Amino acid sequence: MTAATLQTRRLTLRQPQASDLPAYAAYCASERSHFVGGPFTEARTFDRFAAMIGHWAIRGFGRYVIVHEGRPIGHVGPLAVHEGEEVPELSWTLWDAESEGHGFATEAAQAVWTHLSKDLGWSEMLVRIQPENAASIRLAEKLGAERTEEPAPDHYHGCLTYRLTAKVPA
Amino acid sequence: MTAPVLETERLILRRPDDRDTDAAIAFLTGERSRSVGGPLSLGQAWRAHAKMVGHWTLRGFGLFAVTEKETGRTLGISGPYYPADWPEKELGWHIWDAASEGKGIAYEAALAARRWAYGDLGWPTAVSYIDPSNARSIALAERLGARLDTAAERPDDECVVYRHPGPEGLQ
Repeated sequence: MTAATLQTRRLTLRQPQASDLPAYAAYCASERSHFVGGPFTEARTFDRFAAMIGHWAIRGFGRYVIVHEGRPIGHVGPLAVHEGEEVPELSWTLWDAESEGHGFATEAAQAVWTHLSKDLGWSEMLVRIQPENAASIRLAEKLGAERTEEPAPDHYHGCLTYRLTAKVPA
Repeated sequence: MTAPVLETERLILRRPDDRDTDAAIAFLTGERSRSVGGPLSLGQAWRAHAKMVGHWTLRGFGLFAVTEKETGRTLGISGPYYPADWPEKELGWHIWDAASEGKGIAYEAALAARRWAYGDLGWPTAVSYIDPSNARSIALAERLGARLDTAAERPDDECVVYRHPGPEGLQ
């Protein structure tokens, strides 16, 4: 069972809740969501956030909301949508531009991957990134993810696929 | 948020979760989902189910999984529903399992869910949005005392609106 919350040096990672919806909606309405098919209408935003929450209830794990000084600033974590895909994905997103450039996404993604691989023994995860998303590609490489030749899935056309593999302790 | 568990003569209504995933996906990827915009792909169906579950956290209420008391089997969903693009709060229902139709299951579940929405949630009124070609669903709305409301705002041009009697009309 994944931890309900994770604490890093500057961030709290916790399950999404109703009070996060306005901040998430601002992200979904902005150009920042274009890497995942946005901007989205209010209705689609509600449905997407509900599905993010439902993922936790169904799978027992899901994406955490990244909280910095009490403010929700993004989401990060594993997802495994039922599409015959056995290796879960790790994804991360910062919801607003002012949260960028502080290393928050790196700090959050590293904490989640460390928890999943060290505490829970997950051996591998996929990271799917659009080729023009340079910041995310840098982060994936920093985590130690390696580029694969795997084709993009139907739900995320045109993406590159990276693979994270847990280091087996010597 | 703690979701309630409602008990009727033959049914247990509870917040949907992973126990309902297989039945939800079978319904949403099958022909019976035409009235809700299906059939969906496997991935879409999974997300649609996750959305129903997460609605509970965002609103404090949602569609209940309707389960058979005797077997624990999930027969469908029923209950209060209010996504962002609904003009007003709805009582929705879908019986997933064809073999469970014609036994008053949907009626029994909808009565319990409506009583909870009027009682615990304090709703003053409720509507049901129904595909006009779905005769079975219209018959259920009428059996529940709901009447066609042509003045009500609709979430889309495809559906018709049935308005339920208010809490005072059910005393």
